[in-house]
Amino acid sequence: MLAGGACIAFLLGLPLPAHAANRVRISGLTDVAFGSITTLTVDSLQSESICVFSKSPPANNYSVTASGSGPGGAFLLSSVSGTLPFEVQWSDSPGQTSGSQLVANEALAAQHSSASGGSADDCSSGPASTASLIVILRSAALGAALSGTYTGTLSLLVAPE
Amino acid sequence: MTGFLKRTMLVGATVLALPGAASAATQGTSGATSTGSVTISATVPGRVQISGLSDVAFGTVDPVSAAAQAQNVCVWSNTSGRGYSVTASGSGAGNAFSLTDGTNTLAYGVEWAASSGQSSGTALVSGTALGSLASTATTPTCSAGPPASASLIVKMTAASLQAAVASSYTGTLTLVVAPQ
Repeated sequence: MLAGGACIAFLLGLPLPAHAANRVRISGLTDVAFGSITTLTVDSLQSESICVFSKSPPANNYSVTASGSGPGGAFLLSSVSGTLPFEVQWSDSPGQTSGSQLVANEALAAQHSSASGGSADDCSSGPASTASLIVILRSAALGAALSGTYTGTLSLLVAPE
Repeated sequence: MTGFLKRTMLVGATVLALPGAASAATQGTSGATSTGSVTISATVPGRVQISGLSDVAFGTVDPVSAAAQAQNVCVWSNTSGRGYSVTASGSGAGNAFSLTDGTNTLAYGVEWAASSGQSSGTALVSGTALGSLASTATTPTCSAGPPASASLIVKMTAASLQAAVASSYTGTLTLVVAPQ
C-alpha cells in the first residue's frame, strides 16, 4: 500500500520526488609522520588540511568523533619501549594549526562544511579542503617517553547533523 | 672490477624494487556516516640531560684533615634502561682535576654515584667515561619523579691540602653525560 502522494504519482506515471538522504564523506587524509623529534622540550605539532563533505540541509553541519588505537580508543602511540600519548584538535577550516580539542570517542558537534550540495564529495571540484586535523605531541609526554619509534592509528568518524 | 660493477647494479635494482613508503591512511566513503583513518608515527631519539648542578665552595679548609663536598644532581636518560655514562674534566693542565690561584695548584678528586644522597662513589678519571650507570629520573630536569638521581662528590685529601700554598684556589669541573 503506497502512501497517498506516492500512490498518485505512480498511477499518473509521474516521477517520484527524490528525497536524498543526508550524507557525509571524509577524505584527503594522509599519514601523520613526525619523524625524529630533535627537541623534546617543546611541543611537536603536525597539521593537515582534509576534506569533509556534508550534505545535510539546511546548514550542512556535521560532527566528528576520533578514536585512537590505545586501550578504549585512547590517543596513544606505542613502541616496544612503552606508550606516548598525543592530543588531537579539529578545525572546520583548512590550514589551521589549532582547533577544538577532541576527546576520544566523544563527538565534536556543530562543525560546518564548505563542501556540500553541488560539490564533489572528495573536494575535487573545490574547495580543495574544508577542515584541519591537528595532532600534538606535548613536551611533557616527549620528556617522559623512552627512546624508540612509536606508531598508532587515529580513526575519524563524521556524521551529518 | 666486473664483480664490483655487478654487485653495484644488483644493489641498484634492489633499491628500485623496494616499495615506497606507502600511505596507510584510509579515506572514507560517502554515506550516512563516513570513517577515515591515519597512521601516526614519531621517533623519540636517545637523549640525556644533566641539571641541578651547584658550585662547590669549600670555604676555608683546615689542611690537617681531608675535605669533601657532595651534592645531589639530576641526570636523566630516556634510553630503554635509562643508561648513561659520565665523563669529567677539570680546568688544570691536560684537563687535570686541579684548582689554581694563578700560580700554584691544588689537586682534588671527583667521585660519582648513580643515586642521590651519597658521600662517596666511584672515582672518576679526567677524560675517561664511567659507563653502565642507570638513572631513576623520569623527566629531563627531575621536575617530576625523584628530585635527583645522582651524587657528585668532590674531595681533597689531607696530603693535597698540606702540599698546597696557603691561598684561594678556583677551577672548573665539566661533566659530560651520554646515553647508553
